[in-house]
Amino acid sequence: MSPDRSRGIASILASILPTLIMAVVFILVAMAFFMSIGKPPLSTLTDMVKFAVGDTYSLSETLVKTAPILLCALATIVPARLGLVSVGADGQLFVGALFGTAVVLAFRNAPGAILLPAMLLAGMAGGALWGFVPGLLRGRLDANETIITLLLNYVGALLVNALVFGPWKDPSNLGWPATISFPAAAMLPGFFGTRAHLGLVFGVLAAVGFGMLFAKSRWGRELAILKGNAKVGRMIGLSFPREAMLVMSLGGALGGLAGICEVAAIQGRLQPGISVGYGLTGFLVAWLSGHNAFVAIMVSFLIGGLAAAGDSLQLFAKVPAASATILQGLLFATALAVGGLSQRWRASRG
Amino acid sequence: MVDTTVSASVTRPSPLVAMVGVTKRFGAIAANEQVDLEVFPGEVLALLGENGAGKSTLMHLLYGLYAPDDGHISVDGKEVHFASPRDAMAAGIGMVFQQFSLLPNLSVLENLLVAWPAAPWWQGRARSIMSEVLVWLRKLAPNLDPARRVSDLAVGERQVVELAKVLNLDPRIVILDEPTSVLTPDETARLHGFVRNLAVAGKAVIFITHKIGDVTACADRVAVMRHGRLVEQGVSSSKSSDQIVSAMVGQTVLNRVGPAAPVSPVPRLQIFKLSTSPNDSNCPVDALTLTVGSGEVVGVAGVIGNGQTALAEAIAGLMPVLTGEITLDGASLACLGNGLPPPTRALAYVPERPIDNAVVADLDVATNLDLRLLQAQPFFSANLDRAGRAAALISDYDVRPRNPDLAAGSLSGGNLQKLVIARELSGSPNLVVACYPTMGLDLIAADAVRQRMFEHAARGSAVLWISEDLDDLLQYAHRIAVLFNGRLMGIVARDGASRDRIGRLMAGIGDEPRVA
Repeated sequence: MSPDRSRGIASILASILPTLIMAVVFILVAMAFFMSIGKPPLSTLTDMVKFAVGDTYSLSETLVKTAPILLCALATIVPARLGLVSVGADGQLFVGALFGTAVVLAFRNAPGAILLPAMLLAGMAGGALWGFVPGLLRGRLDANETIITLLLNYVGALLVNALVFGPWKDPSNLGWPATISFPAAAMLPGFFGTRAHLGLVFGVLAAVGFGMLFAKSRWGRELAILKGNAKVGRMIGLSFPREAMLVMSLGGALGGLAGICEVAAIQGRLQPGISVGYGLTGFLVAWLSGHNAFVAIMVSFLIGGLAAAGDSLQLFAKVPAASATILQGLLFATALAVGGLSQRWRASRG
Repeated sequence: MVDTTVSASVTRPSPLVAMVGVTKRFGAIAANEQVDLEVFPGEVLALLGENGAGKSTLMHLLYGLYAPDDGHISVDGKEVHFASPRDAMAAGIGMVFQQFSLLPNLSVLENLLVAWPAAPWWQGRARSIMSEVLVWLRKLAPNLDPARRVSDLAVGERQVVELAKVLNLDPRIVILDEPTSVLTPDETARLHGFVRNLAVAGKAVIFITHKIGDVTACADRVAVMRHGRLVEQGVSSSKSSDQIVSAMVGQTVLNRVGPAAPVSPVPRLQIFKLSTSPNDSNCPVDALTLTVGSGEVVGVAGVIGNGQTALAEAIAGLMPVLTGEITLDGASLACLGNGLPPPTRALAYVPERPIDNAVVADLDVATNLDLRLLQAQPFFSANLDRAGRAAALISDYDVRPRNPDLAAGSLSGGNLQKLVIARELSGSPNLVVACYPTMGLDLIAADAVRQRMFEHAARGSAVLWISEDLDDLLQYAHRIAVLFNGRLMGIVARDGASRDRIGRLMAGIGDEPRVA
């Protein structure tokens, strides 16, 4: 084998080695966890894989979880291309759900062809508003966008509560805090009779679209320049405040889309607890993907599978309800640790 | 090839450091090739060479940052293998870097304590050790208040703190990496005197530089490097400046030609009673009026931090104008309401500190070279024609290494400067504003940059040249404007200028009514 060729193979190996190590370490850690809760590690592990992708139903449930996680990951990734750290996908998700629901409640008799797009657009507008505000504050006043998006999460969730406990509560619910059920015209269609829905298509389209924009467009390069050195960007006529508002609004719109899709495809009504931590999961997925929109599709699918399998395990293998969240946490911790170690290893080898 | 003139002193002590056949390669490029170098206690060795001649690499080998591929290094006659600078420090080697390693948010005293080996864990009011920690600082700069934050210090003061930090470790061998490139003439003279004292105290000093002035002022011996090899060494008094320069530059002929005097220049850049708002730590400009005509090179002299930055940024449209106007050929250059410069391609702007102000360190060299063309590109486009334009600029302006795909941040300071010069001076601007464009560049590169500026002047551009190097301005600029504390102290035509007179103006002592 020529030295050139073997060096090429070595470099490919070196580039996927951290991922391989990460997978092995995670499997070991997960097995240790199963043992600690008194479950047979190997069979629980195989059950988990089965419950994630083993049959049509499992796969569809995985895709159900993948959709909001991917959209929330993109809600983090788009601002991150400008160097902004948004943790506000959850708030955007709630406000998106709220705005979309408002349209449905106002025009509940409109035909689906009008109601559905209007609902989705309103959801995106709500999320965009929830992103625009921190973007505006960051751009104009240099206020920290991370803290503002974090706090707006609470505002968003509590706004939904205020409405579904109050004016929007369906009286026929006998006190249950939720709006009326959405009319059939406002329900997002699913695929092949499963719960997997159009939100996934939106997520993948958005990931591919933004991925292309970041990689190939002038805009992507402008964001990279402003992220790297805002002063230089200004020198060539690029405005950091304008781009901050734009990327925060676009990210917010995707978070809002996740929210209204969740309501219009899964829940069928607006109620508290529409997000089971999708926003923060999306944030972690964004980091794991290195803020690459294409990679985020895979990682979201993986995490979606983990979440779906966790639910099923809880039902059929009687593992505690918190297991799915614990496994998710272990996966992120493993990924960050292995990533950090491999970076240090590379640095020490020069 | 190597001049092995034995020095005048007959019974030399054994060398403190001996490098024998040292070779270091980066990929296919040999940064150092078979270098033999000895340094003796009590002497100042000036290590000269152009950017990229291998001086820094050689010293990084001695300081344990790299390991040599071939050859060996011994200290005190014992062969050493340093795995890290820690080992080198333990062997008595201290190095002051070009890019300082001070912590800007801490005070001078805290910075010194951080590097102090015997620093106690609890430093609340450790008065007893203060005096020890501050010994060198007191000697170097008696007036520097150790409670000041490093971020508030001028660059020359930072250099002194950095030096005190290294001397606190009591090294026997002190390496200074181009210490005078950021200093004012006064500070430079002080440093020279101080370096002499270190040698008298028995330390060996290795002084990396490309300034002949440093050699004549304080070096006992010189060693000249070119293309990774040691091409000349000997007692400095036995070498003439011309000899040293030609050893450094090899066959290259320096131009050293100034710009032709403009014939009846038409005013192009007109600055009228310009004041900028006081912001950050920048000294604002105060009611400054200045005109630069076509074909004219106007130098701006002054101690760094007297309003040069504000002046340059206001002209470049990056700093809001408080009152007054700036026009180029009658059109305003002042920054717009959104804080952005007016869209004009007629201005070439070389800011100070390119790594902070002129390049995006994370992005590749080609993108950095194309920055000015970005806005004119279609929305979707493959990256600009890299092989063509970028490669041509890289070779024209001698940016090294010649790889357009490398991240700009991995280039050395001098090469970054060349990259920015290549981007800004490769067009046909009507106005050139250059801040310290030759800082950190070697003789050949600095000469090339000046010639580029003068070519634009010859085309009829107005050139405003902010420089720390008074000799350069006195030799080349048509007129010299002197800034002090944001005000224009005076404008002196080159013919009527003397170092003394400009020095007085730089210190704020006016000798004539201020130009209104």
